[in-house]
Amino acid sequence: MLARLSSRGRRLAATPVAGIAVSVLLLVASLMLGLHDDELGRAEKLREAQVQAQILAGSLAGPLAFDDDDATREYLGALAVNQELVAAGVYGPDGRLVASFRRDGAPLPDAGRVGPPVVENGELIVTAPVAQAGASLGSVYLRATTETWSRRALRYLGIATVVLLAALLIVVLGLFYASASAANRRLQAEIKGREQAEAALRQSQKMEAMGQLTGGVAHDFNNLLMVASSGLELLGRTDDPARQEKLRRGIGEAIERGAKLTQQLLTFARRSPLNPQVVDLARCIRGLHDLLDRSLREDVLVELDLPDGLWPIEVDTSQLEVAVLNVAINARDAMPHGGVIRIDAGNVPGAGGAGDMVRLTVRDTGAGIAPDMIEKVFEPFFTTKGVGRGTGLGLSQVYGFARGSGGDVTIESVPGAGTALTLFFPRSTKPLPVEPASASASASEAEAAATVLLVEDDDNVAEMVGGMLRELGYATVRSENAASALKRLDGDGGPFDLLLSDMIMPGEMDGLDLARHVARRYPDLPAVLMTGYSQAAAAVSAQGIALLTKPFTMETLGEALRQALRAGGREA
Amino acid sequence: MELVRRLRRALAGGAALAAAFGGFAGAGEAAVDLETAIKASYLYKFAPFIQWPQAAFTTPSEPITICVAGRDPFGPALEEAIRGQRVSGRTIVVRYLENVEPETRCHILFAGEAPEQSVQEALRAVAGRPVLTVTDLSRGVGGGMIQFVVVRGRVRFTIDAGAAGETGLAISSKLLALAVTVGR
Repeated sequence: MLARLSSRGRRLAATPVAGIAVSVLLLVASLMLGLHDDELGRAEKLREAQVQAQILAGSLAGPLAFDDDDATREYLGALAVNQELVAAGVYGPDGRLVASFRRDGAPLPDAGRVGPPVVENGELIVTAPVAQAGASLGSVYLRATTETWSRRALRYLGIATVVLLAALLIVVLGLFYASASAANRRLQAEIKGREQAEAALRQSQKMEAMGQLTGGVAHDFNNLLMVASSGLELLGRTDDPARQEKLRRGIGEAIERGAKLTQQLLTFARRSPLNPQVVDLARCIRGLHDLLDRSLREDVLVELDLPDGLWPIEVDTSQLEVAVLNVAINARDAMPHGGVIRIDAGNVPGAGGAGDMVRLTVRDTGAGIAPDMIEKVFEPFFTTKGVGRGTGLGLSQVYGFARGSGGDVTIESVPGAGTALTLFFPRSTKPLPVEPASASASASEAEAAATVLLVEDDDNVAEMVGGMLRELGYATVRSENAASALKRLDGDGGPFDLLLSDMIMPGEMDGLDLARHVARRYPDLPAVLMTGYSQAAAAVSAQGIALLTKPFTMETLGEALRQALRAGGREA
Repeated sequence: MELVRRLRRALAGGAALAAAFGGFAGAGEAAVDLETAIKASYLYKFAPFIQWPQAAFTTPSEPITICVAGRDPFGPALEEAIRGQRVSGRTIVVRYLENVEPETRCHILFAGEAPEQSVQEALRAVAGRPVLTVTDLSRGVGGGMIQFVVVRGRVRFTIDAGAAGETGLAISSKLLALAVTVGR
């Protein structure tokens, strides 16, 4: 700090010093210029005096030759008007002084003599012979000041004034520059400090969010684990079938809630594999009406305003349902004394480069959200609800789902008047799929008799999934990794009807690679992938490979396999 | 030269010329009065202010000849005045003549009274030729291009520039400016 101060001080001092140096240089230069000018002026003066002497000598030839002293004096008198001449003399051919004038007792020689010009005490002495046609008639003597002292002083004073003013200007400019640059440095330092403070603030906010997230997850999971572990413990101690069934259901529910929780977390993180389908938004929401009515209280009325002719959108329908449900539940909780939840939709034509969108608005007549809270509602684990009532992940899921679907979400709220949450989805260019004539709810015998090649590295998972498959009536063969699965497919393992593979496995090939390889080599063999979490999940969805998200239920597994087999043309 | 200097000093000191006037009739060779001495010096000093036609000289170094016709009023004063003087690189010589003949070689002719030839006869002898003719009007002898006069006690001269111009002589304006009256 001290060093910085002193260096700044040096810099501050350096500029005026440089200014003074420059002005000294200027002064010296102008002095030299002045001296040179003086020299030139003196030479000029000399020439001038010589010319004057010659003119005088020329005009004095007659008067000197014929002793016309009056004319001589007249000529001299005319010359005396020149203030620079201090003395002048006219001498006859014998050197005798004929006529003269002098100012302030200036010296004048008694005898005329012609010689070269002389500078004496700053005064210039020139002589010129008076001659006519080669005949010497006398001489003239002129003594002139080169420049009066006062005039020279004035001239130098003028130069000095200009130089000093220039120097002053330089010094002032230097000082101004120094102070400006010092202010600039202070500003820079302040900006840097603020940037650091902002970064620190962001970091602490991030840490806070992380703490909230991990704390929330831990809290919820601990509760679920508590239910599961205590349920299992109690299960071992009781023989009452009714009680055993109740405990089992409790454990199942806890596991289901845990699965939902992680699903919502992943959706928020946008790592959840969305399974987009081209749907009609109005149809989807109408299908939700019953569910909404059941989920909400009796004093909450749900109104739908869904026009026909909405553009198709491509979204994960289950996520859409969850999102609408989350928003509706929030709306319900915002209206403790009942109210109306109004759900409406509309087409929003794109403008200014933005594409066409379909809007879905859920409006309530509840308490509203305070303006300072609006920004936080999409943060995970932010909740205004009491402990055990909300997870703080509802709107986070909505946000993650909307962004993951290429859309957006906005929220408007007037405290005391209600909140409107609007979801935007991009218009899909794909046509709506034709409804399957009859979606059979049970596995046909042909399907059930199929053989499934299960590729799973985890023994526990493999055993469980294998059990589920057998329960569903499928024959199953397990491979531990992609390489051995391929070997089985190539070798004697017999024809398989379906490939069910984990996504992430040890070895050179993962599940996706395997599925692609199989699709190329055995185009008739349908593949279904399973994953708990994977960044490649999106790619799987994009390539039209069926994907099961762990944990899944037996029912979900059965449905996925049936669909895959049907798509593979096995129903024929 | 020393004499002239002394005389000039006397003049500058304001000495009256009148005192010397009386002695002109009996002026001997040695005793030359101040006025005569001044006239003698003027006689040669006219030379630098006169430009002769080229034909007046046969060679570039030919001396300027001053002819004194008739009685010589100057005595040694003229000889002293011209000693060592050069005009346009030419020396000056004096010739004393009894009679002026048309073929007499002169550049400046001072015509004085003479028993053999009157002033007018002498002037006529050189009429039309580039000879600067000088007479002394203050002594009662007029004529010629330049006449000496005495004005307020000072020796001055009149110039007849027209007559001079007819013979091819050019008189410097510096000299003309000093003349008291300029005849046409």
